[in-house]
Amino acid sequence: MIGILICQIVLSIVLASIFLIRPSLTSATGWKIVAFIGLCVLPALCLVGGMNTHVQRSEQTRFCVSCHVMIPYGQSLYVDDPNHIPAQHFQNHRVPADTACHSCHADYTIYGPLNDKLQGLKRIYMQYVSTPPDPAAIRIAGGFKNAQCLHCHLGARSFEENPVHAAMMDSLKSNQTSCLTSGCHDTAHDIANLSHAKFWRSTQ
Amino acid sequence: MNLSEIGIRRLLQVSSALVIVGLALEIVSLLWFHPLSFVLFAFVAASLIGLGVLVYLASLAFAGAPPADNRN
Repeated sequence: MIGILICQIVLSIVLASIFLIRPSLTSATGWKIVAFIGLCVLPALCLVGGMNTHVQRSEQTRFCVSCHVMIPYGQSLYVDDPNHIPAQHFQNHRVPADTACHSCHADYTIYGPLNDKLQGLKRIYMQYVSTPPDPAAIRIAGGFKNAQCLHCHLGARSFEENPVHAAMMDSLKSNQTSCLTSGCHDTAHDIANLSHAKFWRSTQ
Repeated sequence: MNLSEIGIRRLLQVSSALVIVGLALEIVSLLWFHPLSFVLFAFVAASLIGLGVLVYLASLAFAGAPPADNRN
């Protein structure tokens, strides 16, 4: 897919180069059409294709962990502990391994992807312009919302038939009780204790 | 060749140059797997390409406008 986009960009560069060297060609009607394609239609398509590729790329796990402060969070996905919720989801492919971070941290609302990108830009600003945060001190603004879990688990038999979940379903749906409440699923990205953790090694 | 034609051709050259630089930066951003590559694309490459397209459209508007001495 990226190969097709690059071919399109190269074609657009070649056409634009023709008009950079010989702008007088546009006197002829046929070349006027070529100029419109090369300097307006193709560049606009390249922009749309580039944005789509970058947005898809930013959903990949390896993109998220390419930021220094996210490295321990990426390592925590390999913790060999079934109580460690992100690791359990990642290792058992309960979320796609390639887009593990995005699956649990994406905002699934209409403007969610845009909000995610703005948050990402804020983090880039913190990394390169202001002070990068300590990885252990990073907290999700407003706390982790149950909607992220319920997006997949709501309607699943094992989730709905669990008596603990059934007893507090309304409270979970309204976000009054967090899924990460102490005593429930409270071990998520425990990066403070990562140095003592045992890690799972994938055979792939 | 009148002055207006020279101006339009200069605009076409400026537009082409902006589009070429913008597209070249887009290729770099696509091949560079780094969080900054999105910034390079969104803030630099896209701006240059967008500006190039606008300059091209401006050249079309100038080409379509009647000469100053034929107005009224």
